[in-house]
Amino acid sequence: MAKYGMVIDISRCTGCRACMEACKVENNTPQGSFFMYVFRFEEGEYPNTRIWFMPRPCMHCDNPPCVKVCPVGARYKMAEGFTATDWDRCIGCRYCEVACPYGVNYFNWRNPAESHYLNWEDDREIELILDGEVLPYANPDLELEYGPEMRHNAGGGRLKGVVEKCTFCIHRVENGLDPACAANCPTNALHFGDLEDPESEASQILHEQSGFQYLEDVGAEPRVHYVGGHPPTTETREIEIVNVRV
Amino acid sequence: MKLTRREFLKLSGITGGTIAASSLLSGGLKTLIAGAKGSLTTVDERTPTTCWIGKQECGLLVRKVNGRVVKIEGHPAHPRNQGTLCPKGISQIMALYDPNRVKTPLLRTNEKGIPGEWEPTTWDEALRIVGERIKDVRARDNDLLVWQKGRSKAGNFYDTAFVKASGATKLHHGGFCSDAGYRACEYTIGLHGVLHPDFRHARYVLSWGWNATNAGGNKLCWLTWPRQLVKAREAGMQMAVIDPRLRGAAHFADDWLPIRPGTDLAMALALCNGLIEEGTVDWDYLRQYTNSPYLVNEEGNFVRDGDTELVWDQASGMAVPHDTPNVDAALEGAFDFDGEQVRPAFQVFKEHIAEYTYEMAEEICGVPAQKIQKVAQDLGENAMIGSSIEVEGSVLPYRPVSIMAYHMAQQELGFQAIRAMLMVTMLLGAVGAVGGQRSDFTWKIHGNYEKLDEIEIGDPPYNIYLKNSQYFPINSNNSSLVSWVQQNPENYGVDTIPEVVILHMVNPLTAFPDQRVMIDTYKKFKFVAAIDPWLSKTADYFADVILPAATLEKYEGPMGVSDQYTDAQSLRVPPVEPLFQSRGEIDIYIDLCEHADILYGEGGYIDQINQAFRFEEDFALPLNSKPATRDIFDRWARSEGIEEGVEFFEQIGLHDKGSVPATSYYGYATDPVFGGAVHRLYGESLLGYQREMRARGVDEIYWQDYTALPTWRKPTMDLSPDDYDLYLISFKMIEFKQSRASQIPLLAELAPQSFLEINPVTARERDINDGDEVWVESHNAVTLETRRVKVTAKYRESIRPDVVGMPHHYGEVARHPWAQGQGPTPNELFFTGEGYVANTADQSFHVKVKVSHV
Repeated sequence: MAKYGMVIDISRCTGCRACMEACKVENNTPQGSFFMYVFRFEEGEYPNTRIWFMPRPCMHCDNPPCVKVCPVGARYKMAEGFTATDWDRCIGCRYCEVACPYGVNYFNWRNPAESHYLNWEDDREIELILDGEVLPYANPDLELEYGPEMRHNAGGGRLKGVVEKCTFCIHRVENGLDPACAANCPTNALHFGDLEDPESEASQILHEQSGFQYLEDVGAEPRVHYVGGHPPTTETREIEIVNVRV
Repeated sequence: MKLTRREFLKLSGITGGTIAASSLLSGGLKTLIAGAKGSLTTVDERTPTTCWIGKQECGLLVRKVNGRVVKIEGHPAHPRNQGTLCPKGISQIMALYDPNRVKTPLLRTNEKGIPGEWEPTTWDEALRIVGERIKDVRARDNDLLVWQKGRSKAGNFYDTAFVKASGATKLHHGGFCSDAGYRACEYTIGLHGVLHPDFRHARYVLSWGWNATNAGGNKLCWLTWPRQLVKAREAGMQMAVIDPRLRGAAHFADDWLPIRPGTDLAMALALCNGLIEEGTVDWDYLRQYTNSPYLVNEEGNFVRDGDTELVWDQASGMAVPHDTPNVDAALEGAFDFDGEQVRPAFQVFKEHIAEYTYEMAEEICGVPAQKIQKVAQDLGENAMIGSSIEVEGSVLPYRPVSIMAYHMAQQELGFQAIRAMLMVTMLLGAVGAVGGQRSDFTWKIHGNYEKLDEIEIGDPPYNIYLKNSQYFPINSNNSSLVSWVQQNPENYGVDTIPEVVILHMVNPLTAFPDQRVMIDTYKKFKFVAAIDPWLSKTADYFADVILPAATLEKYEGPMGVSDQYTDAQSLRVPPVEPLFQSRGEIDIYIDLCEHADILYGEGGYIDQINQAFRFEEDFALPLNSKPATRDIFDRWARSEGIEEGVEFFEQIGLHDKGSVPATSYYGYATDPVFGGAVHRLYGESLLGYQREMRARGVDEIYWQDYTALPTWRKPTMDLSPDDYDLYLISFKMIEFKQSRASQIPLLAELAPQSFLEINPVTARERDINDGDEVWVESHNAVTLETRRVKVTAKYRESIRPDVVGMPHHYGEVARHPWAQGQGPTPNELFFTGEGYVANTADQSFHVKVKVSHV
């Protein structure tokens, strides 16, 4: 059985944020919700300045604080490495959001359809051009059930009052495809694969290069590893910040 | 899992047989234990097509579920993007389904100069009105008609066929982009382009300006260049960055030289001087392939025998024709010829740049002399002068150093600055060598190599962009300058002011400086028609008629889509029918030409299309019947030898033409070498233009940069009073780069507002905190006018303290809910006209400003 993870090569990342957009369109997330986020960082003082970028998906931790606090088993760990959310079962208590050291959980305060980019429910013009059928800006794959447990874990549902986060695009992985962010990365900085398989590209990169895990000392044991750079420090400043909550 | 080119070719059978686009997706991961439950009623399909939103025509697979586009992904086999897309490419799904597009043809019902009030009309009525106007002005004087483009995505149909059929004067956008660099390269080495590396073999690249990772670049857009850059770095390539801001190159910079804006020419000449002092010069190249050995007399002209330039033969001690076999031409020294002192052009160059020491460059450019010296040494070392390498069976010079530069060309000294930068790599012998300096995808000599050398300056009256004029003999056709001239046409010998303009996907009011001048100009047009998917600010204020264009959903092209190593062709194919009542531009022009009586017959639009595509015999469109756009592309595909015609592109989207052979790629491998173009270190004709301009009594501001060799002077902006103590530069962001995109919700969310980058030291001196609102006021050193905008300050340690920076892109679309409150564009602060354009009429994006707390 494959056990998936991601290796992110910071030295390749140009900070373009295309992964954020590939994720948003693939997963149909509402405004302010970024299952994948890319930090743009500045360090040092002029002229000894450095700029670098750090993509941040869900870490899909092996010792996940979010799973431990979920009172209903909606957040659960899959044998294949995914830290999954069953949106059908989530009650929206937001404990996971508090427990997560990485800030990857997004609570749907509103009906996500209202904070989608186009208000599909109200626009008659769109209804007209789409033959009277108001198709939402949505990926139908997200509504299906995935994994051996056959649960609603693909970031679908779009329900008010539930928590959502990066799913590692389980609906794509199920079909043999990389998660949307990794599949799209123009400079191939995101490597998704079976970290238990020494032959996988991700394993090999991790084997060849010394890496780090973000906030390693927290002990959550992330399945996302970084190579080609260093972790942010207290001297690292975020620039070109995107407002991630509305 | 990404598809390799080999796998794609296998799948597509190269030219025979077609396949379903969905089979281009190959999964490489083990699937989970149980499969998902799929819906049986879902129709899930993928249409291959070509990106619309950006500059470089990446390949797309558009996924549709039950007829609705749900995602746009990269075409896995496309040489430029290989299954990936930039943020814009992905987000254009929101441009497609944007309910704020112009949905029907619109007629203006109120006065111009204020936001429009619009009445929907039929296509027939709208085209009739525009057609009548075209007929009217054409009957009186063709010079009354102007066609102005933003970015044209099917040059044969628009720039060539429509412009020729209508006889319109064409206005470009290049004078805002990089055209000063194009002119410099065309003139100096005969190639149509600016400067880029041969990344496959590069060892050391000087990234000059902000393009490396943050948007754009020569010939290609952002996506392909960083892909090649990252690969090259992993193969050991070093990169030094010359830019007032570090942001554009980010962590890819091994060395950062934060240069003072507008001083690039001095830096380049200091590097040239340093290379000569260090002795890292490729003498063989200079002697054989450049005009360096040509003898120059005391007046600055080449010494000739008839039409042939002479060189000094060191063996015989005589001046002989440069093409004398086995000549041992001197590059240095001074010689007596017919009682006159003559020197090889290289000697003149060497003496000319002797004063450009590292210390002088430090003073001018504000970068420590040691840093500049290190760059010169690194260039010299990495150039490996004298080395060679075998490529495809040919042994070619190997000089793995180059300069990557693009938008920085748009500065007052831009033309000569790029010439000076090119001279750096010429001294190293890197031009056209393996791993060396590139300017175009292939080594094809452009017509401007000759044309720019033999311009005949004409007498007034001049046309509106002052073609062949005594003011800008080399002329990049700058729409800002056109507007400037129209304010006082009599001052420039212009006597015909156009009445009708067709705006083709262009928004001059926001996209071009100076905004106030633009407004005054568009007021003067008697009739403005806009072809656009959105209500641009220009259209909102000045259009009489708006013709709604489709976005991605149309046939358009064809496009050459080389990534510089692999060549291919593609088309834009509509994944869905045009939305609302929009139409593809080719359809619009066909019908518009019919209404204007310029569609049929000889010289008509159809005939011009035939000529533009060189359609002959069976492929030629009949001149008396209206063609369908898809049919034109079908003929084109068949004329290219693609038997399946347009269907080939509808099925797989990409015609792979294979690797670019070394014999057309490397200047040293072409026959003749460098396409036969002698590289012009010394610009004799430039000096000739200066003389003629002076003889005609033209002011110094026009002729001062027409010098045979690049010569440093302070930019005009430096004459602004001392309290305008900061330089404003502009830049582009990857979120919006190369297109009108700030109204696309996904992108607007990423970068919702304009901002001013300011060094914290500079900010604190003015009591400005990070995030404060500030006034930025610019000053025109020639007219003494000022402009002012309010914008949010953002602290950046990665910008020079005497420089502030602002992004372009904002304020493009009028009355779009997502474009509200996004803040100003720096084009509100830049000026045009004398002092703010180059000697080639190219727009400068530099100005002195003062910044104060609101």
